[in-house]
Amino acid sequence: MRHHARLTPYLFIAPMIVGLLIFRIGPIIASVVISFTEWNIISDPEWIGLRNYMELFTDDTFWRVFSNTIYFVVFYVPFSMALGLLMALLVNQKLKGIAFFRGLYFMPYVTSMVAVAIAWNWIFSRRFGLLNWGLGSLVDAINAVISPFDLIINWDSPAWLSNYPYVLASIIIVSVWKTVGFQMMVFLAGLQGIPKTFIEAARIDGANRWQIFWRVTLPLLSPVTFFVLIISIIDAFKTFEVTFTMTQGGRLSSGSTLAYDIYQNAFQYNRMGYGSAMALVLVVMITALTIINFVGRRRWVTQETY
Amino acid sequence: MDVSLSQAERSEVPVVTGSGGNWRGLLTAANYLLLTFFAVFTAFPFVWMVITSFKSGNAIFELPPSFIPDKFGQPDMFDNYIAVLTRHNFIRYTLNSFFISFMTGVGQVVTASLAGFAFARMSFPGRNILFGLLLFTAFFPVEVTIIPEFLLGARILDPLLTPIGGWMNTFLPLIVPSFMVGSFGTFLMREFFSTIPKELEEAAVIDGATTFQIYWRIFLPLSRPAMTTLFLLSFINNWNELLRPVLYIRSRELQTVTMGLTTFQGEFESDWNLLLTGSVIAIVPLLIVYVVMQRYIVEGIATTGLKG
Repeated sequence: MRHHARLTPYLFIAPMIVGLLIFRIGPIIASVVISFTEWNIISDPEWIGLRNYMELFTDDTFWRVFSNTIYFVVFYVPFSMALGLLMALLVNQKLKGIAFFRGLYFMPYVTSMVAVAIAWNWIFSRRFGLLNWGLGSLVDAINAVISPFDLIINWDSPAWLSNYPYVLASIIIVSVWKTVGFQMMVFLAGLQGIPKTFIEAARIDGANRWQIFWRVTLPLLSPVTFFVLIISIIDAFKTFEVTFTMTQGGRLSSGSTLAYDIYQNAFQYNRMGYGSAMALVLVVMITALTIINFVGRRRWVTQETY
Repeated sequence: MDVSLSQAERSEVPVVTGSGGNWRGLLTAANYLLLTFFAVFTAFPFVWMVITSFKSGNAIFELPPSFIPDKFGQPDMFDNYIAVLTRHNFIRYTLNSFFISFMTGVGQVVTASLAGFAFARMSFPGRNILFGLLLFTAFFPVEVTIIPEFLLGARILDPLLTPIGGWMNTFLPLIVPSFMVGSFGTFLMREFFSTIPKELEEAAVIDGATTFQIYWRIFLPLSRPAMTTLFLLSFINNWNELLRPVLYIRSRELQTVTMGLTTFQGEFESDWNLLLTGSVIAIVPLLIVYVVMQRYIVEGIATTGLKG
């Protein structure tokens, strides 16, 4: 039933659309233009054509940052999804105190990344951190056992917050730790949406728990898995806060990622054009990944609705 | 498919098929072992944060580290907290974060419920394209758009808004952008509004209600849970926001809690006991919100996750 004037819907969406144009679409288009300029904010922009891109693609630091970003996605996405699914399966059981565990697992997600990253900094601290102390004690204990056989492990406590590859590993670990509760929660909702009858039927047919999981639960869960995949990929590019607070990119940007490098170039080195060129690389990366995901979706996501 | 957790618990899969008590006991034990492992992994940084916040400046560097803080039970037990709150401005930071997060939360509810209503209940040319654009831009992290946004603020909005105090170094750039655009929020509200029966709307039209009255008198009162969810998630997100405060805020007294923490970290690099006290102060308000409002936060995530 149509009960509104032709213009009414546009009035309802007006604030959102104005915001979308000013703060999302407009800036993405403006980035393209700015990326062809040299601009340090103070003076006026100067048109330099493709020079930013030429510099970008011949710069070793950029390629390191680029590959770090890919590493981050490659490790963060599968780890957070697999752990999230495992945790969801665990808390989906009828056990005493399960609500407590569920609530606890989700807790890091609602806390401030800066605050928890500082706590992790302290744990990762090279000389006084709990992690290196624990690892060092472990190595000492092993050495005490194996030294009679003329064996010894040489262990130098790693600088988790500055040296590659630890500097990248540390921000991946903290990011997974921080967000995995979200993946868990969405998977959990998905698991609880699977009608019991499907699983009952499989059991009557003689399937064991393992078979039920792989042949029934997982395929029925695939639309949710797809959603979690998309969200996890989006999250994998949000590395600014964790990098800013923990590593500042590490020694010589060895552990920096695109999100942080955009910030550094634009706002620490005052290179708006160069930073914008980088931002566009990020746009292209994310768009390509999204297209691949939606095209690949048909191959593994169950279409039936139940 | 709106599954509240308590509802679903009843319908969940029985764990064991009954092949013997021992097997069942072993399985339960293994489950609890894994649950505990994840619990320790999740909770440990928080626990260590709290322990360290009750230590003195010397005790933090002791090796092997002590798990019982030296100030525990002493008269000066809360010294770190008093110092951080009073001498280091954290009361002010907390109030700033509170104001900003509250305003953006309100803004999100207003703009997202208006847009969500149009996207859910009206058909108009461009609807799908606009909604698709809104969702698609949510794929990009804020770093993608921050450079033009910053330039717009510094070059155009700041001079324009000089009569009311400008744009840079105010709360405006921390509030307005997330006040106005919320892909997630619009999505959430649209999903919720689509579940409201058409008959309610039709009855109101027959009674002569205007579109805005239908939105205001029927849809909004019915969608209080969704609005609460949206407000809370937006509040939490903005409380934790770091990039915009770092870029726009210059005055110390305008800093937010998260930004204040990073400044604090720069100044007191090795005073870990004070730093972690600051961290505790920054997350306690969030944890209170989480514990009290857990149902809304979790349900919002569950609902949008399922609909995705």
